[in-house]
Amino acid sequence: MAKPTIIVVGADKGGVGKTTVSRTLLDYFTAHQVPTRAFDSEAPKGTLKRFHPDVTDVVDVTSIPDQMRIFDTLSDASVTVIDVRAGLLSPTLRALRDIGFLDAVKKGQFTFLVFHILGSSIASLNEIEDTSQFTTDAKYFLVKNYFNNTTFFEWDQATHANYFKKLKDAVEITIPKLNEMAYEQVEVASVPFLTFVANKGPKGDSANYSFVLRGYVRHWLGNVWAEYDRIKLNDIIAATPANPRVQVVR
Amino acid sequence: MPQTPLYIVASPHPRVGKTLLARLLLEFFHSEKRPLLGYDLNPREPTFAGYFPRWVFTVDIANTRGQMELFDQLIAENPASTVIDLGYGAFEQFFSVLGEIGFAAEARRRGVETTVLFISDRAPATVRAYGELRRRLPNVPFVPVHNESVSVSFDNDDFPPSRPEFRRISIPRLSPIVRGVVDRPSFSFGSYLVKPPSGPTEIHDWVATIFNSFRDLELRLMMGQVTSALGGVSLGPPPIPRR
Repeated sequence: MAKPTIIVVGADKGGVGKTTVSRTLLDYFTAHQVPTRAFDSEAPKGTLKRFHPDVTDVVDVTSIPDQMRIFDTLSDASVTVIDVRAGLLSPTLRALRDIGFLDAVKKGQFTFLVFHILGSSIASLNEIEDTSQFTTDAKYFLVKNYFNNTTFFEWDQATHANYFKKLKDAVEITIPKLNEMAYEQVEVASVPFLTFVANKGPKGDSANYSFVLRGYVRHWLGNVWAEYDRIKLNDIIAATPANPRVQVVR
Repeated sequence: MPQTPLYIVASPHPRVGKTLLARLLLEFFHSEKRPLLGYDLNPREPTFAGYFPRWVFTVDIANTRGQMELFDQLIAENPASTVIDLGYGAFEQFFSVLGEIGFAAEARRRGVETTVLFISDRAPATVRAYGELRRRLPNVPFVPVHNESVSVSFDNDDFPPSRPEFRRISIPRLSPIVRGVVDRPSFSFGSYLVKPPSGPTEIHDWVATIFNSFRDLELRLMMGQVTSALGGVSLGPPPIPRR
């Protein structure tokens, strides 16, 4: 059996699309039939939980009882996705080190992935330096998220290159922009992207979403998943022997 | 069950006869007493809608709401035979959205067969645009249209149809005076044909030729659908209708 995988999705800045990326990951694993659970640290209600209520619990990752809830039960699912609230990425990684989780990763007991969502500001580059000290034994992904029209204009090429060359093993992922109205409609529907594409409501009932907007979401999700296929995400979690390409169903 | 046709009259250039062809198609549907619908995608100069204010809607697909208004309606239940007059300004965006949302496959699933009637001209950019579109939309039938008023010659190699049997539609050149009559905003091919002045005229012969080529095209498209439904077994070319 594959060893448990923990994916931390975070950034120290808010509004960069952490939850959006977490949602695409949960959809990806659903499509690949990988048993997955998620933790949402946006207490008390949780944004991720609104879209994926069946697999998501709201937690405070800095509290010991909630750390026990997450890390003492890692073998309950193949993949655990933790959507870390803005500003808590570095404290969370520090907590993981303190409880010995990073040592366990080093010993090969767990697969550990960090999806670091970057903002457009130079502060994001500084975050990389802070974060990278905890990701020596992790698969570290730097996610440029264009979904909300972010332009990474503030990044001087030389500065950017200087930061990135320090991180030989970090891999960049690009999340393309999604049509604003399509994004808004999925928000209103409060369903996973995959459910929206399938024209279903929150309880699996038939819905009446615009075909155009569903088409935009399907196309976008396909592009996001192509990025996950490119980094061989399915192989990394070793949940299935091969890496079958899964089409986004209509 | 036969598919309901959706014709997209397209060209990347202005003044090649798109609106004329769209008018002829709508009049053809009308002459056959079919439910019909038209869309004019030239919001700044909706000439097509001006000819048929009851049947043709003007839509601006530059924004998402306009795209929803168009594409969601096109696949709604009980669709009518439909013509889209695709203005050259909306050309790129239209085909980009159509491809991105997977429109043609969904339309086919709902009983609507999309066909692009692409008006040729001699510009190399038009030839390139045609080839590029066909590559982007491999499952959409493309039928080249030669408007003899725009270009004298037509090169089959530049504008090959999607399938050999979808041969090109030719729009013969009209004399300038008659063309002036046809272009009047109040002119209706249907009304003119129903009440001929005294025997056949140049317009009668011209329209009859074009309507025959529409009938021929529809038969060939229908044969293509039957062939596909039979798993690719060709029934041979259909007879050319006579009038």
